[in-house]
Amino acid sequence: MNDLVIHAASYLGPEGFGNDLTGLRAWPSPLKENLAVGELDGLHWSLLSDSDPSRFLRMDLMCRLGFMAAELLAVDFDALSDARRERLGVCVESFTGSLDTDIRFAQTPRPSIFAYTLPSTVIGEICIRHRLKGPVLSLISPDTNGANVLAEAADWLRSGEAEMVLCLGIEAMNVSTANSISLPENLSPRGWHGAALLLGRPENSPREKLFAAGRLLEVCRNLCSVPEHAC
Amino acid sequence: METAVNKIASAGCGAVTAAGLGMEALQRAVAANASALQRRELLIGKTSQPVVAGFVADEITSQLRAADAAHADSRAFLFAAAALKEAVKNAEKILDSVPAARRGFILSTTKANIEALDKLVRQQIVSAVAQRQIQPAFLAADLAETFDCRGTVQCVSAACISGLSALQQGAVIIRRGLADVVLVAGVDLISQFVLSGFNSLKSLDPEGCRPFDKARIGLSLGEGAAAVVLVKRELLSSPAILISGAGTSNDANHLTGPSRDGSGLALAIRRALAKAQIAPDKIGYVHAHGTGTPYNDAMESHALRTVFGDRVPPFSSSKGIFGHTLGAAGVLETALCVAALQNNFLLGTPRLRERDPVAPDSLLAEPRAALKLDFILKINCGFGGTNAALVLKRESP
Repeated sequence: MNDLVIHAASYLGPEGFGNDLTGLRAWPSPLKENLAVGELDGLHWSLLSDSDPSRFLRMDLMCRLGFMAAELLAVDFDALSDARRERLGVCVESFTGSLDTDIRFAQTPRPSIFAYTLPSTVIGEICIRHRLKGPVLSLISPDTNGANVLAEAADWLRSGEAEMVLCLGIEAMNVSTANSISLPENLSPRGWHGAALLLGRPENSPREKLFAAGRLLEVCRNLCSVPEHAC
Repeated sequence: METAVNKIASAGCGAVTAAGLGMEALQRAVAANASALQRRELLIGKTSQPVVAGFVADEITSQLRAADAAHADSRAFLFAAAALKEAVKNAEKILDSVPAARRGFILSTTKANIEALDKLVRQQIVSAVAQRQIQPAFLAADLAETFDCRGTVQCVSAACISGLSALQQGAVIIRRGLADVVLVAGVDLISQFVLSGFNSLKSLDPEGCRPFDKARIGLSLGEGAAAVVLVKRELLSSPAILISGAGTSNDANHLTGPSRDGSGLALAIRRALAKAQIAPDKIGYVHAHGTGTPYNDAMESHALRTVFGDRVPPFSSSKGIFGHTLGAAGVLETALCVAALQNNFLLGTPRLRERDPVAPDSLLAEPRAALKLDFILKINCGFGGTNAALVLKRESP
């Protein structure tokens, strides 16, 4: 993948959040491994953005993580032309997908939750915020390490279908939610984290490139410190 | 000049729908322009309500359960496996020549075996297998193992474009040289979960969907499965149906409603046409998403006009036959398009009474023979503002 570059990378999880290799910043107050959706709130959003948090606060945990990971990239998508946003792909890979939200919807069906019972909704949320028009892809993989979406992103970039691709790896499963239906842990690992990478070609960088894409997985794993279920 | 994805052919299809078990039953319903939607009294939340939808007949489910007791309470597995069995049988000779390690598998679903989750929440007994297959990734892995696909296994879950996105992924896997054959299966069920969701959004037509009709007020859910066997073109000797181009896009507009102007879908269509390297006027027929919701069908109409101008090809929707099968829809409707190309046949729009003037007048109410049909455009759209388009091509003899 040496013809591609990572324009930006980000990670957030219980141990903190960051967007470079120098380390993670701690949350203002510790966030547990067993995170409920309401605990990642407007205060946390305000660490990354001064925009109105109302949309963020309507989301489920998976979307909040993806939304924050994209924001944490610190790429000014609004500065890109319409034509470039039209050629900015977005893809997500996950193992747990929307299962946490699925369980909560099955227990208490509410219209406001239903739209979040799809693992692809996070793509819609990010596309709406940054007016991105795709292409798009949403994968559920048992051995999630982000490799599938990264391969697809590379394909889009090399074929010219996209100029840049935002790749997301997200896992969100609350212990209490899973335990409420006695879901075995091997079916759905508990915990939460989100990671994002903006991939592109060197000539199209919206900012100074950070890493050579040949080290992509290594970089991401170092950044995530959670090799099994994050990008 | 050939493009990157247009060397992938369809070698066999299978389906389990409200119209019956198998492609033949489905094609009979298509030829008769007959609806298989049925009214049942179902529990939605805590109240019992009449629901018109495309249910797979209980006799079919019983038959499949009797043949596979291990998956008796995973209808998602049973339906997908039945569709795959038919598709694989249709492509038997080719599959026999391809080692298992060169066979990939892609599942397309929105909610996998969601019935098991409904039961768990109500503290009902669920088998370990049914529970495992709540997870789309495990349903995909189990189906891949059953059909001896030991190459790349993926699951696409992207709302109602899952099927077309899965077919696109299948083509990509073959093109990258990761597999010679990819089985693509789509499946989804009518469940308490899904009914509650669509009912809460007031998206259901209590009398049954009427796509592109002036009086349409909503969709009808459907359930079932479909499968398409994709192969490297070189493995087929006779003229084949090819995946010629594919594209996706996002509206960047609204989570549960389409953009009003259809610009997002038009973008996906243009991407697919560009991949296929054909001009819009080469398309002989469009198989629309056509859910029957007021906004979707109007949006699709705008998108078709945007791309084709005042020469919109004949188009129709099949959801009046079997309902909206969600994650299965793209695979199921593509299987119908493959049959249409093989038989030079255009599908009708069952349950249409009066065309909405917003829809181009090339809307087909009834099925008919095609004079010349080389390219079909298949489109789907979904929650999250997603759009997908696939161009299928019939090779000349």
